[in-house]
Amino acid sequence: MKQLQIMVIDDEKIVGDMAKMSLEQEGYIVETFLNAEPALARLKERQFDVVVTDYKMKGIDGMEVLRTVKQLYPGTKVIMITAFANLDTAIEALRGEVHDFFPKPVKIKELKSSIGRALSESK
Amino acid sequence: MKDLTGLLKSVLKFPLKRSAAPLPFDAVFGLFKEVLNSNNRSLEIITDMGDKLGGDYIFDINYIKGAYSELTSSVGSSIKSFNALMQNRYPGIHDAFSRIDNQLRALIDEAPAPSGKLVIPYEDITPDMEREVGGKNAPLADLKNHLRINTPDAFVITTAAFDEFMKINGLDKRLKNGPLTESSLAELQRLIINGEMPQSLVSDIDSAIINLTEKHGKGFALAVRSSAEEEDSDFSFAGQFETVLNVTADTNSVLEAYKKVVASLYSQRAIAYQRQLGYDPAHLKMAVGCMVMIDAAVSGVMYSTNPYGDRDTLLLNASWGLGEAIVEGRTDADFYIVRKGVTPEAVISKAGKKDVMIINAGDNGTNEISTPDEIRGRLCLTAGQIVELVNLAGTIEKHFSRPQDIEWAISGNGRISILQSRPLKMEDNVHDNLTGPNQTALSGHTLIKNNGIAVQKGIAAGKVLIIKKMDELENFPKGSILVSKHDSSNFVRVMPYVSAIITDTGAPTSHMASVCREFRVPTIVNTGNATQILEEGREVTISIDDGLITIYDGIRSELMRQNKINSPKMENIHEFRKKRYVLRYISPLNLVDPLLDEFTVEGCKTIHDVLRFIHEKSVAELIEKGRECASRSGDHTAVKLDLPIPTGILVVDTGSALNNADKTEKITFEQIQSVPLKAVIRGMMHPGVWRSEAVSLKAGDFLSSMMRMNDIVAESGEFVGSNIAVASHEYLHLSLRFGYHFNMIDCYCSENARNNHIYFRFAGGATDITKRSRRIELIASILKEYGFNIRTQGDLIIARLSNISQEETENILDRAGRLIAYTRQLDAMLHDDGIVEKYAKRFLEGKYEL
Repeated sequence: MKQLQIMVIDDEKIVGDMAKMSLEQEGYIVETFLNAEPALARLKERQFDVVVTDYKMKGIDGMEVLRTVKQLYPGTKVIMITAFANLDTAIEALRGEVHDFFPKPVKIKELKSSIGRALSESK
Repeated sequence: MKDLTGLLKSVLKFPLKRSAAPLPFDAVFGLFKEVLNSNNRSLEIITDMGDKLGGDYIFDINYIKGAYSELTSSVGSSIKSFNALMQNRYPGIHDAFSRIDNQLRALIDEAPAPSGKLVIPYEDITPDMEREVGGKNAPLADLKNHLRINTPDAFVITTAAFDEFMKINGLDKRLKNGPLTESSLAELQRLIINGEMPQSLVSDIDSAIINLTEKHGKGFALAVRSSAEEEDSDFSFAGQFETVLNVTADTNSVLEAYKKVVASLYSQRAIAYQRQLGYDPAHLKMAVGCMVMIDAAVSGVMYSTNPYGDRDTLLLNASWGLGEAIVEGRTDADFYIVRKGVTPEAVISKAGKKDVMIINAGDNGTNEISTPDEIRGRLCLTAGQIVELVNLAGTIEKHFSRPQDIEWAISGNGRISILQSRPLKMEDNVHDNLTGPNQTALSGHTLIKNNGIAVQKGIAAGKVLIIKKMDELENFPKGSILVSKHDSSNFVRVMPYVSAIITDTGAPTSHMASVCREFRVPTIVNTGNATQILEEGREVTISIDDGLITIYDGIRSELMRQNKINSPKMENIHEFRKKRYVLRYISPLNLVDPLLDEFTVEGCKTIHDVLRFIHEKSVAELIEKGRECASRSGDHTAVKLDLPIPTGILVVDTGSALNNADKTEKITFEQIQSVPLKAVIRGMMHPGVWRSEAVSLKAGDFLSSMMRMNDIVAESGEFVGSNIAVASHEYLHLSLRFGYHFNMIDCYCSENARNNHIYFRFAGGATDITKRSRRIELIASILKEYGFNIRTQGDLIIARLSNISQEETENILDRAGRLIAYTRQLDAMLHDDGIVEKYAKRFLEGKYEL
């Protein structure tokens, strides 16, 4: 069976490290990035099944990641996480066809089930 | 973090001048409630941080900053109310908080200010000093200071000392200018060996040796061991650097050994290893640990989890003498595979030939000798020692949340010391032979299901040990499941050794709960009846996950095993460990027992300690002010309680204690609205406990009562002749004198268990000291059964109980009321020691006739 690929973008190393450890345990292949530029370059090389991205980052932010992903691979689901959750950011993200939106700290169990749902929806 | 600094400053600016005018009791009570509210808010934040940083959530630094900012603000409010309450009698609380806050801010801002010290004794090492003391010393000191595990006394020559040494010898420049070739490395090592020592370092080492000499006398020796910055963290560096054993404890010998160890950082082999791991050898720094040599009878190494096979087993090597023989592979050591679990058992014990052993040489260094024939082929360890080692390994693995490679030694007197503990590299082996956990779980008999509040998730198994009295913690069997009626911060003492904690009452934000999260001890509180369902000695398995609680009958080893494999090893993530460190200055509780001397402001090492200190001192202040208020009862409009028993109690109502709209001079039991007062009086009125007929005193007792009268009056001054209750709806301070007996109860009884306390004090008696002591013994044994923490001195007893639900508080106050009434004339009846136990038993059974 093909192993599913997940990209995680967050400018704090601990977020990528923790996401990688918990998602790899589920059998996913996980690539992590500390900022969006190299992540987007990598996306141009290959498709990921799910992209988990921070909302607020220096340089290219989460909304731009979302737009690029949707442009390149409309089928790829994007999950947005942010430390600065408020209603406006949530609405903006949802309008941009985000699959899910989590304030940080994110419960790992919830992230895993959100990814599970994303993958079953895109089948 | 600027806003935090500002906030702290504003708190610290609170005027410290002492105000002489005593506060009216209403103001005291108002401030006391303010302290409780702020403390509760702080404990809730600590609880949340414990949860979020526990490995189940992905968090970032913004969460830590935000949560800590809230915490600082609520602790600031606590301190402000506390200072007002105490009229600034504890200015040290500012310093304590400020000191901890500085350490925390340095950690959060990721710029831990190095202490700059050249030499640090082990007991002063804190987890944020890893860079200064190196990766080998830091975890060992942590075991010593945090878990109180026996490790050799030691000091560290820090990386700051290394910098200083390299600098004054011009070696730092030489390193930077490179390149590091075979010949330049040899030259560097030669220069280190012949290097000059900074004078301040020499004198610091001198002092450190003097300090050790005070404890160990002259003639002890040191093991001088490498502890490079990164050593034992993500990479083991095992065997890369020098260790010099049995170094005479004088400064010159230590310096010589120190230089040898430092030089080993630049051996060709070590440099190649560092480069292979991607380190720049010019940047790696070396700290050196100097620990008192254990004259080991047996030494060895253990892997806390078998990395090669069954993960429920542990690997153990042992040989006679020093451990060098094993770590350097110089002997064919004994080999054990031990099944872990409630009763560890060696499944394989293979005696090695052990032809040679290494021992301390007379004055310096070590000798390899031929092992004496009579012990050569014999197994080195007894069954008891194996169990002890396995338990230690379990505790250490649990603490670091990852399997450990542990060096240990047993001295001639049988005492085990841990010499080193480092992470053990394990192969991920998720798919080993497993039966489904749910299947196993479902097949077992369930004792408790979804009853109680989950405090810390996890799976644990062990034998039930029911703790009724705090002194039962003294010989706590490691690995037991602690079951108790109440939760108690006293359990901190056994936290590293307990498998799980289950209580009948308690709240998830109590002091104990926050420590359970810190130690990740699976914990359930408020089960209601665990002490009745789980009998002593029964083997059980506890599973707590996402609030779902199940307690199975028997040991479910498959469940344990599955849990171990399933839990992600977040502790393997360096960033996670580093960020979680902040909890070390927040959650642990060092101030455990307010009745002990070390309960001081200087003893506060964490935010939790500060809150505990504030809480306990505020309670003490409330008791004192309640007492003063009671003694000044003439100032208030006191009304008399009109009861069927002649208690002569006057009540000073400080807020909703009585329903006395008509302002009558006497009120009845039904008019009492104060929850604690009503409970105590109900107990005193309980059928059969209040004896109205006099108990005849023997001639000796009568004389003794006459002679004691003056003492008692002098000791208790204002109490005499007045039975006073200062009460509000939730609070009671009751001072009673019946004949020659003086009782005080101070109690806060509200809906929030964490706020509640009962303080019970008893003194006096008319009879001779033997009989009075017997009564103290009787009262103590009864109060212990109710969970009180007790101190006695002569014929004085002080008992305290806190963190209990309102219902439980009322129930205990009712019993206390009965006890006061019951014991009024009891000492005259206590003719021999045996009778104490009899009366205590009868009282607890509800049989009150004498």
